[in-house]
Amino acid sequence: MATRHLIIGGGTAGINAIRAIREEESERSEITLVSAEKPYSRMVLPYFLDRSIAESHVYTATARVLADWGVKTHLGRRAAALDAKANVCTLEDGTKVEFDDCLIATGSSPVKAPVPGADGRAVHSFWTLDEARAVIAELKPGGHVVMVGAGFIAFTILNSILSLGARLTIVEVAPRILPRMIDAAGAGLVEAWLKAHGVAIRTGVKLTRIADVKGRKQLTFAAGADIVADVVIMATGIKTNLDWLEGSGVVINRGVVVDDRQRANVPNVYAAGDIAEGRDLVTGALAVHAIEPTAQEHGRVAGANMAGKDLRYRGSLLVNIVEVCHLDVASFGAWDDATAEVATGLRADRPAYRKLLWRGDRLTGAIILGPSSDVWATNDVGMLKGLVQSRVSLARWKAHLKRNPFDIKPAFIASKTTSTLLPETILGRPSKAPGDTPVAV
Amino acid sequence: MRVLKIYPEKCTGCLRCELACSYVQTGEFQPAKSVIRVSPFEGHTSYAPYTCTQCAEGWCMTACPVGAITISAVGAKDVLDDTCVGCKLCTIACPYGTMFYDPATRKAFKCNLCGGAPACAEACPTAAITYEDVATADWLGDFARERTTRVLTGVS
Repeated sequence: MATRHLIIGGGTAGINAIRAIREEESERSEITLVSAEKPYSRMVLPYFLDRSIAESHVYTATARVLADWGVKTHLGRRAAALDAKANVCTLEDGTKVEFDDCLIATGSSPVKAPVPGADGRAVHSFWTLDEARAVIAELKPGGHVVMVGAGFIAFTILNSILSLGARLTIVEVAPRILPRMIDAAGAGLVEAWLKAHGVAIRTGVKLTRIADVKGRKQLTFAAGADIVADVVIMATGIKTNLDWLEGSGVVINRGVVVDDRQRANVPNVYAAGDIAEGRDLVTGALAVHAIEPTAQEHGRVAGANMAGKDLRYRGSLLVNIVEVCHLDVASFGAWDDATAEVATGLRADRPAYRKLLWRGDRLTGAIILGPSSDVWATNDVGMLKGLVQSRVSLARWKAHLKRNPFDIKPAFIASKTTSTLLPETILGRPSKAPGDTPVAV
Repeated sequence: MRVLKIYPEKCTGCLRCELACSYVQTGEFQPAKSVIRVSPFEGHTSYAPYTCTQCAEGWCMTACPVGAITISAVGAKDVLDDTCVGCKLCTIACPYGTMFYDPATRKAFKCNLCGGAPACAEACPTAAITYEDVATADWLGDFARERTTRVLTGVS
């Protein structure tokens, strides 16, 4: 009998796992996908919001593609319980799905600030396709949008909101913007840049209430003046979707704890993406990296192992990049390691900022900020990632880079980073193109 | 597959590769849009062109959330303009720093080997760039290590 794989969650991790199974398996298996939503990419919702792409563009695996891949689907339904001993997953409508192995890839959900009015009209998270549709319906040129929370998710839709002709105010409870993506010096530059581009920003303010006043939204804070807006977008953090795993027998810490094959404590249960707590490539510690590249790599590694390969994963690298008003902002690895050796370079007029973090002569983290028209900065974004990922010894280049953190390229090339990186692959072989997933025969 | 093989010691720094690359890729002579880039070494007394190695992993390709980077008929990782949304994930995923982004078109772009007739190799007057059926490799590492000793002199 064919092996029965169950994929729970149709996001990035789940779809990558399905493709890896089909690419790696030696005998055709049965794959079943359970997903609350039709598979699409949350990464591209900002481009749907600003209407630069059609809704059809956001889908990662249409019904036709899933059929081609030979995937049975339960779409529009959530998993409600997992019995890892009996190998059964129960859906919320009572359907029971048996499996030989399964992948937990149920991701995370947005959390709204717990204030009165947070569930009211014209107050949205921006996480799902449905929420994107709701924001599109309410966002009008000349309207005033207040974004509560100044983190990565908020910043991914900042350009879209401005390009639709809305006025934008950002409010943040922390003393500065992007508190979990860049340091204070970098955040100061971004804040000044955004203010120069017409974005109003208030940091260190605690939202206490959202009320409806004459058809508009009135936001009240613990201190300072109220703000009146047409649409409120809550980008106040995310939480891992773990609740349904209670009593499953799967060990959970901040996420489902996995080994270097993406396996949970139960050998035929795997986890990938936002919900998985796996190895951090830089620190070696267990971490939840709720980012797209980690979901992709986790999903591919899990899928390959489910298909019978014995594939180890080197760990995930925290990377984030966002462009706001033609300013690129990126961070890598252990960028906030307070005990690392640090070198910074600042050219406020461009503006350009670099922060390099070291353990010995290896780069363990970095922050880079610069105009997106600066191709050298774009190249440096990749090379900094390569230096952190490859962990090459920079030897005497370390002292050079500490004097001039902008001179990445000669250090990268002369340290033979390319030699170290070229043999590296996630699946232990060259990757296949996205259209080359084997289809049913 | 054929790849761009670089002989850095033959490069004179003339930048014809950048002109040719940008012309074939964008229709204009604008080295700012070239995806092969000549780097100076030893205080501008030697040079070497640097571009995508068409690596086995294809970090740009596997990172793309919409499948906009594929493998072309000649084996190059190639951006499909109509599918790319401009999210920049490929620019941070590529550990070689050889992904580019055009703010005007809001698309990523990269070396696609010009569909099998790389303009840079054709334009190079000293055969520092050739298009050969060899395994891709770190063409510049040893050269750069040797030619950067002056930069590092006095650096502890």
